[in-house]
Order: sequence, then structure tokens, then C-alpha cells
Amino acid sequence: MSSRSGSTREYETSDRSPGLSAFPPVPESSESEAEGLIFYHMDLYGSKERFDIFPKELTGQEDRSRGDTRKESALSSEKFQCSQEAEYDLEKEVAELAKMYGLDEDREKELELLGGHLEMVESRWPPARTEKAGSQGSGGGLSSSGMSDEWNSQAASEEEAADVFCSTCKMPIRAFDKLFGEHKDHEVAQLPSAVESEKEEIHKNMCKLEEQIAQVENFASHLEEIFITVEENFGRQEQNFEVHYNDAVQVLAQKYEEQLEALGEEKRQKLEALYGQLVSCGEHLDTCKELTDATQELYLENDKANFMKAAVTMVDRLEEFLKKEVDLELSTLPDFEERVIDFSEVEQLMNSINTIPAPCAPVINPQAPNTATGTSLRVCWGLFSDDTVECYQLCYKPVSNERSSDEQAEHTLKVKETYCTITNLFPNTQYEFWVSALNASGISPPSERTVYVTAPSPPTIKNKKIRSCENAALVCWESRDINPVDSYTVELSKLTDEENGDTITESIVGIPNCEVLIHLQPTQSYRICIRALNLGGSSERSEPVLIHTTGTYFCLNEDTAHPLLAILDDGFTIACDELENPECDLPVYDNSFTRCIGILGSLIPFPGKHYWEVEVEEDTEYRIGVAFENTPRHGYLGANNSSWCMRHIITPSRHKYEFLHSGMTPDIRITIPPTRIGILLDYENCRLSFFNADIAQHLYAFNSHFQHYVHPCFALETPGILRIHTGIAIPPWTALP
Amino acid sequence: MKFGIYLPPKAETGKCPVLYWLSGLTCTEQNFITKAGFHQAAAEHGLIVVAPDTSPRGCNIEGEDESWDFGTGAGFYVDATEDPWKTNYRMYSYIKDELPKLINANFPTDPERMSIFGHSMGGHGALILALKNPGKYKSVSAFAPICNPIQCEWGKKALGGYLGSDVSKWEAYDATQLVKSYPNSHLDILIDQGKDDQFLSAGQLLPDNFIAACTEQKIPVVFRLQQGYDHSYFFIATFINDHIKHHAKYLNA
Repeated sequence: MSSRSGSTREYETSDRSPGLSAFPPVPESSESEAEGLIFYHMDLYGSKERFDIFPKELTGQEDRSRGDTRKESALSSEKFQCSQEAEYDLEKEVAELAKMYGLDEDREKELELLGGHLEMVESRWPPARTEKAGSQGSGGGLSSSGMSDEWNSQAASEEEAADVFCSTCKMPIRAFDKLFGEHKDHEVAQLPSAVESEKEEIHKNMCKLEEQIAQVENFASHLEEIFITVEENFGRQEQNFEVHYNDAVQVLAQKYEEQLEALGEEKRQKLEALYGQLVSCGEHLDTCKELTDATQELYLENDKANFMKAAVTMVDRLEEFLKKEVDLELSTLPDFEERVIDFSEVEQLMNSINTIPAPCAPVINPQAPNTATGTSLRVCWGLFSDDTVECYQLCYKPVSNERSSDEQAEHTLKVKETYCTITNLFPNTQYEFWVSALNASGISPPSERTVYVTAPSPPTIKNKKIRSCENAALVCWESRDINPVDSYTVELSKLTDEENGDTITESIVGIPNCEVLIHLQPTQSYRICIRALNLGGSSERSEPVLIHTTGTYFCLNEDTAHPLLAILDDGFTIACDELENPECDLPVYDNSFTRCIGILGSLIPFPGKHYWEVEVEEDTEYRIGVAFENTPRHGYLGANNSSWCMRHIITPSRHKYEFLHSGMTPDIRITIPPTRIGILLDYENCRLSFFNADIAQHLYAFNSHFQHYVHPCFALETPGILRIHTGIAIPPWTALP
Repeated sequence: MKFGIYLPPKAETGKCPVLYWLSGLTCTEQNFITKAGFHQAAAEHGLIVVAPDTSPRGCNIEGEDESWDFGTGAGFYVDATEDPWKTNYRMYSYIKDELPKLINANFPTDPERMSIFGHSMGGHGALILALKNPGKYKSVSAFAPICNPIQCEWGKKALGGYLGSDVSKWEAYDATQLVKSYPNSHLDILIDQGKDDQFLSAGQLLPDNFIAACTEQKIPVVFRLQQGYDHSYFFIATFINDHIKHHAKYLNA
């Protein structure tokens, strides 16, 4: 270190001292480029350290082999050191430098290697160069010019030579050195490739470093978490201790008071007893003394009679006195009674410190999908502490908007596990649950209330609204629940001859509405069920419906029926008994025909071909065909551009058939009045054809690009009936024309 | 005897049904082939179309070229029984037997499947051939046919000339009469008639009589009175596709 800092000073002064500014700047070598980063960096700390790096290379080549990071850290520590030395004695430095420069040829060479840096330094201080000329001039012009020449040639040779890297010494060398110099036997590489590999190495290290940073950061955040956890846990335990020890101390204090009091009382009693005994002893002694005195007095009595008189009394008195037993037993013992002190309460308190308090509140999991049925729920919860729990207390009640029903029965269950299946619930109903944990020490606060919902009840398929064709079916249903469901699933099974209807061949999931268009294969039978789904799970299957994809099946839209039009029980026969109702004022719905005694069917909105037939009496006057859903209800079918109709009327001379659209009809005569009319709606070929189905006779075809899906329409012009037949396979003879 | 024939692409690989076209008065085998524009529909449905001439030609019979509605170009699809016509003017037999034999022998046809249609006098020919030979033709159609020749001027002249004055003999070649004795055999008849056809108003065609007879006999006819059309080939060209389809429906069934 000392040598390094010494040389630092030596170079630094070269900038300041005019005498040394002749120091030849050498073109930047690639090596100096590599170090450029550090160089620039150090500039911030003053020129002194600027060269710190070079001596390091010059003096200690081993340093280079150290990792970059280490080098940098070494430098930064030097920075501190150097900045302190900044105010060093310049003169001394100059002297040292001059000595080194002047004397040491090898050193000079080494310095030349670092010319690149010097150049940079010099370019930063251009005045130093001009100064240099002046001072050199005074010293000796010759030497000045000689110096610069030498510098020039050296610079040139350097440029050529800096293309080899000695792997052994870890330094760039001139190719010349490889041949003759100390690197003769060393392993060398071309400088660019050496740079590349070095860069690669650095990059690798960078990656490793980044990895390490990420790792350490992870670890640090983990530590933080642990830190917080420890703080929390210990804080809680501290509180716990405080509470419990306070309790225990209180109890002990109380016990102490009690004991002290009891002890005092005993002492008092004993003392009192002893005192009493002492007093009675004294009294006894007094009596004895008195008797003795009296007896002695008696002895002194000379008068015999008196003596005798007194002696008898005295003897009696003495006898009586001596008859009394003298109580010489201690009434109480000096030592205090052995007391059994009840520490059980304290013990319990102390024990409870170690058996932990009542558990923390458990946390109820949100409802997991598919864990509910229409009548049951599986509730799960967890405890995020190590508290000992003996069992859980699970409470629930249905969620209700009505205030009054708040008192609805809350149910409580004791459960050992952290899950429970509750049964006998209502379908598609929300229940709120909360749970507490229990152990010997008590009960936890209740968890947050969590709402679970039971699966819906199975939907009901609207049988009367099913529409189908060869390739699709439109199924509608309704939910039986008040609460909305999330979605519906349709399950369809193709019925084969083996009648294996249980194998679900297809499921359509995620249907948001109560209606779905299902693509099917022609001339098959399908069993279709619907399930309703919500968060909790799926309902049971609905009652199945059978759909046959033979022909097109539709139903009549009763809402559109003219008031005078009756739909008979089979749902496909329409009748009109009288053209005008004498009582008038029949209910008219918004959607019903008001002039034409007609009705619309509900055809499946599906492209392709649809065929149906209408059976008529020869003398029935009718209009049959198709119409847009929104065809005017106050007009006649075929009279507008939203309906296409075949019309039959009887003129005095003949049956007249019209094929009406926008009120226009071609002039067509038909020799056989059809009694079974086939209607083929062909969206693909933009055609609506009418046939005499009995004799496969083509009657007429409308060619029209239907802008929207159409519906079958039927109307009676005279009292009569029309029988509509659906689900008929398209007869082959309709193919042409 | 010349005839025109159209072979659809399908005939290159297999046997096809034959649809015979009978032309009207004054026509040759060329008119229909040239003017009707039936080819696309016939190609689509794979039908061979044969258009024979309307009469023998160059028989050197006195008076054969005297008028356009009798003799040359006006064979009327009857087998003449009167001299000098009875030797050559046997158009009914020609269409019924000789021509099909020739066609079936020389072209890739399916002899079991044939239909017939025509225009005006040819319409009359198609109708009587179909009605006189139940089951022989799968279907029949006509453009502005002479429906009741025994009642109209053209018919009276031709039938009188070829068959003699016995009107009862004429009935054998009268569609409206033939309907009355037609057995209960399925025949789907399509007739197109221009509403502005001068021969309709002139009472030469008389479709109403035919329709009335068919109505009575329950023979299925769809009769379309096409507004704004006359007796010309423009009329035929307009509705030829419907007729080709009508026949294809039965020929390709």
C-alpha cells in the first residue's frame, strides 16, 4: 500500500509540475479503456487518485488477478486515505518523483505503458503543455526535442505491440515481448479475443452477482417478515406474561394478607389465653399466700377457744381450697399451628401461562367451488397460530335482507375438525358462517363472518318452448330459485338403440342465460338435461327432455294469436269458429294479430332447411307461409314485405291460389286443391317453396334473401281449422325444383 | 330426319336420362337448340336434351309447303291416316318409338328415364304423348301448349287434314279429351303460359279447357299465367330453367 500511495503522489505531481509535464502521453491502449470507468470515477475525488490504479498494475501484478469488485473496494478505501493525504508536501513529492523518473529506466517503460491515461490527463490541462515548453526551453532545447521524438517513436511501436495478452502474467504485452522478453515461454492470446473472454467472464460474474442480489434480497425480505413475526409473537407473549404474572402476584398478595391476618389472630388468641392463665395463677398464689398468712396468724392465737373457733373455719377453708385442682397445664402451645396454604389457584395461574391462553380466532376459508349441493355446504376454516384447540364452535344462519328475520335461528355445532358439512339447507341460499376455537383456557373470539351459498335447485326446462331442426335445438328453461345463478350447464346424451342414456356425450358449460342453441346431428334422439351452477356448485339435473332431430320442430307462439283464433289441446291445431265476436272486446295482447286471424310459430333461428306441413280442408280459406317476427300485426299476412304466404280462397268458379308477398301474387292455377301443404324454408338457397305434399307436387317458390330469421305463420279467412305437422323429415321430392 | 341433341358433361362418364323437346309450328330442330338457353340447367342436372324436327321435309307431297300451319313444319305429332300424308307424316310414332330407339342406340342414355316437353304445337305433342302413354314419360311440361286442338282453328285444320273429317278420331290426339280417360297414374304437369300471348286471346291454345278437365279428373297441374309474356322464345328462355328442374326432379329421382 505504501508503495502504491507513493507512486500516486509521484504521478499526480507530474500534472502540476511543469518539469514533468514532458512526460510522454501514450495513445490509449485497450487496457486503459477497460480501466476507463474507474478512471473517470476517481476524477471526482481529485487528481491525486487518478493514477492510483496504475501503480497498482505496475507494482503488484497479482492485484490484477483479484476480482474487479475487490479491486474497486480497495480503491474506494484508498480514496479515503488519499484524500487525507491531499495536502501532502508537494515539494517532497516532486523530489521523489524526479528521482524515480530520472534514475529508473525500467520504470520509465512501465510509465509509458500508462501513457493513455497520461494523455487524458494532459488533455485536461492543456496549459501544462505550453508551460512545459517554456520550462524545457530554459533547461535545454535539445533534450526537449529528443524527448518528444522518443515519445513519438515509442508511441508508434506501442500501438503496434498492444495486441497480445499474456495469460500467465495477466497483462497485455507487445508481440515483441513474446518472442524475446520475459513472456517468452508464457501462454499468450490475441488481445481482442482476450478482451472478449475477459468481458464474457465479467458478464458471467455480473450474472452471478445479480443472482446473488436477488437471493439476498429475497432472504432479506424473508428476514423482515420473520422479524415482524418475532416482534409480534414475542410482544403478544410479553403481554400474556404480564397479565398472567400480575394475576398471580395479585393472588399471592391476597394470600399473604390472608395468612398474615390469620397469623395475627392466632397470636392474639394465644397471648390472651396465656395472659388469662397467668392472671389466674397470680390470683391462686394470692389466695395461697393469704391462707398461709391466716394460718400463721392462727398459730399465734393464744386463746384456746378463739383458736379452736378459728381453726375449724380455717381447716374448712383450707380443705375447700386444696380440694380445688390447681391447673398447671399450658392452655396453649408457644408454636403456631401448621397451616395448609392453598396455592392451587396460583398454581393454576402459573400453569396457564405455559398452556397458552384461549386460542386466536380461526379464519374461515372462502367457499371452494363445487363443495355445495342444493341442500348442503362444506365449510372449511383454519387456525393461523399454534394455539392448542380442543374443538371448534361453528355457527351459521341464512343471510337475509329482512331485518325482522335477524332472529332467525342461529345454529351452533361443535366440531373437532377444521371442516364441516352442513345439511338440510335451502337451495341457492346464502348462509353466513363464523367459527370460534375452544380449549381448556377458553374460547377464541369468533372469526369474521363468511358467506357460503348452496348450489341452486335444478332448473325446469320449458317443454313447450323447445324448438329443433335437423342440426340444432333451442332449449329454454327457468330457474326455480329466487337468487340468480352464475351459469348453466347443458348435458346431452345421444340415445342409441341400446338405450344407454346415462352416458353424457357432450356438456355445454358456462351458459349465462336460460336459453341455448345446441348443435346436433340429424335424425338422432337426444336426452337433454340442464344443471344450474353457482359458486357453491352445480344443481341436480333437471327433468330430462327428449329431442329428435328428425325434421324441424316448432311450437306456436300463443302471444301472437288473434283473439278469435283458438289453439286446440294438441297445441298444433288452430281453429276459428266465427269471424266476428258479437260480444266484441276480446282481450288483445300487445303482440297478437288484430286484423288477420293468424298466429306465428316459433321457428328455431338456424340456417339450413326447415319443412313443415299444414293439413287443410278443401273449402277452408287460409294464408300460410312465413313472416318476420315483427311483421305488422294489424295487416294481412302476405300484404307486406315482411311476410310470404300461400293464400287459398274460393271463388264462385274455382279454388283460387295466391302466393302473396307485398300484396303481389303470380297468376297460378292448380288443378288439385292441396289438402296437405308442404312448406320448405331453405335459407341456403334463399327459397320458400310450397308443395302439395300428397302428390309431391311443387306449387310455387318464392326466391328471397331473408334478411332475418323468419317464423311460420298461419291464418284463417273463414271458419275452419288448420292442422300443423312438425318434426317431419324433409321429403326427397322437395329437393327439386 | 334431323334432330338436335345436347349431351351434358355427365354423359361422358355415364348414362343420362333423355328429355325430349317438341317444337312448335314452323320450327326446325334448330330453334330450341339455338334460342332456349337450356344448356346450363341441363348440364347441371345431367340431362340429355333431344330436339327433333317438327315434320318430315322434302316429301314432295302436293301442298306440303302451302301454309305454315299445315304440312312441312306442322306435323302436329299425329300419325296421319289420310292420303297423301299417311306414309310420311307419322310424327307421333316417330317421337314415341323411332327416335328414342335411334337415340338410345347411339348415345349414352338410360332408356328407362325419359320425359317430354314442348312449346305450342310441341306442347300439344308433349301432352298427348304423355297422356297416351301412362308411365312412359316420368314427367311432362309445356310452354303455351295447344291444349284442346279439336276446338281451335289450328287443330281443326291439321287434324282434319291428317286424320280425316271424323271428329271422334281427333279426340285421340286431344290433350283435354285424353285427360278424361287418363288412368289413375301419377303425372305432374307444369304449364307456363304468357298472358300477352296473341294465340291465347285468339283461342288457339285454350288452356282453361285443359285445366278444367284436369281439375275434374284430379290430374295435378300447375298452370302459371306469366304476366307480360307472349308466345316467343324469350318467354321460353325465361322459364326454361323451371321446366328443366321440373323434369330433373323426376328423371333424377
